[in-house]
Amino acid sequence: MNGQAWMLLLEGAWTTVWISGIAIALGVVIGLVIAMVRMARIPFIDQILVLYVSLARATPLVTLSLFLFLATPTFGIAMDRNTAAILALTLNTAAFNAEVWRSAFLSFSREQKEAAMACGMTNGTFFRRIMLPQMFTSSLPGLVNEMSFLIKSSPAIAVIGVVELTRVTNRITAVTYEPLPPILAAAVLYMLIIGALLKLQAIAEKKANRLAM
Amino acid sequence: MSDAPAVQIHRLSKSFGGIEVLRDVDLTVYKGEVVSVLGSSGSGKSTMLRCINWLEEPDRGTIRIAGTRIGVDDKGRKMNNRELAAIRARTGMVFQSFNLWPHLTVLQNVMESPIQVKGMHKDEAHAVASALLEKVGMAEKADAYPFTLSGGQKQRVAIARALAMSPEVILFDEPTSALDPERVGEVLQVMKNLSAEGYTMIVVTHEMEFARAVSDQVVFLEKGLIIEKAAPEKFFTRPETERVRRFLELSA
Ligand SMILES: Nc1ncnc2c1ncn2[C@@H]1O[C@H](COP(=O)(O)OP(=O)(O)O)[C@@H](O)[C@H]1O
Ligand SMILES: [Mg+2]
Repeated sequence: MNGQAWMLLLEGAWTTVWISGIAIALGVVIGLVIAMVRMARIPFIDQILVLYVSLARATPLVTLSLFLFLATPTFGIAMDRNTAAILALTLNTAAFNAEVWRSAFLSFSREQKEAAMACGMTNGTFFRRIMLPQMFTSSLPGLVNEMSFLIKSSPAIAVIGVVELTRVTNRITAVTYEPLPPILAAAVLYMLIIGALLKLQAIAEKKANRLAM
Repeated sequence: MSDAPAVQIHRLSKSFGGIEVLRDVDLTVYKGEVVSVLGSSGSGKSTMLRCINWLEEPDRGTIRIAGTRIGVDDKGRKMNNRELAAIRARTGMVFQSFNLWPHLTVLQNVMESPIQVKGMHKDEAHAVASALLEKVGMAEKADAYPFTLSGGQKQRVAIARALAMSPEVILFDEPTSALDPERVGEVLQVMKNLSAEGYTMIVVTHEMEFARAVSDQVVFLEKGLIIEKAAPEKFFTRPETERVRRFLELSA
């Protein structure tokens, strides 16, 4: 592999990182919002969200990406490849994250809430200052697990023409006729990306390890 | 309203699933008083305490904190979350199981409500919290996290947390029942000090000696009814009902 091949590979890696990164950030927040709304058990809306979560979890990413890219123009929404890719990844990961957040909601102790109420905190203050920081810590392993899963499934967006880290290896092979080196290099890059993610998790957990009770 | 009693409970009733847990409970607690609430398990002591700060919503009756009605406003309208929070901020509660917030240090546990609820400046809250931790003998553990503390230490922090809001009354729900026997004394000592300083306290407890030494009134609950209410000397030496006589014999 020459310098140009490496440049292409790094560009592909960057595409994987930024598209996944946006989907991860959106997916974590949207997952939290879904879990919160579900805790309110609003009739009808609750059923819609249950349906969304089961559909999104059951639909392969390739199918979802194709659907969003090919079907949305018929509804008058023009979407470029990258937007469709981000949307597909976000819809997928948000559904999984919603379940992670939800279990953190369900397992949160009532006693701590009563202590907050007794001190005069509003529900909002309690959520922001007491519940959310702890939910974040207890959900972090599940969320990071889902993040690395998302990065590993992200090659699915190649189906709509996004040149990410896996797709780019094809392109390099088309010139060099040597499939193995770019694929091995791509594998190393995936490991580096996920390694960085785990490193971040370790740092976040260290900051929060006082929750060990 | 500054001369109003710290807590006035009038005809408080509460049922759970059709079973009456409190029946027409009346109780007035004046400023600086300590009221001990005794009674066997399931008699409604916790429910009574939890109605005072509206952690449980009563079915009937009125409760006033320093003259202000809680739960329902002057026009008879139910208070919203924000209004309830504002009046709860004038009471403090100490739970059997401490209920400290595990992600915050001891100092942060005490500073949190003054800052978040009263809007107190951080520096001032720090000073207030440090002084309170000093008072309960926990100043050395200010930067420790709750999981590193013994039960007695946790409970003393929980007391400091309740004091930090300068409440009109502090509600104690069996504050020593979850403690190892050798840790009970340190918590009772802190509570005795508070009473000597003039804090108003309602204490659900099984510690007879404490109740006798510290209380201004002793109240006995039986199946949701207050069947005796007396000064401690009278309550412990000349109870009026057979039920209380038996209770005192059993716990002697
Ligand atoms: N949230 C609740 N739901 C249903 N029943 C309850 C609830 N809280 C208390 N009770 C019942 O009310 C009665 C009084 O309980 P409680 O006030 O906790 O008594 P005590 O504190 O004197 O032991 C008990 O029979 C208890 O089972
Ligand atoms: Mg109880």
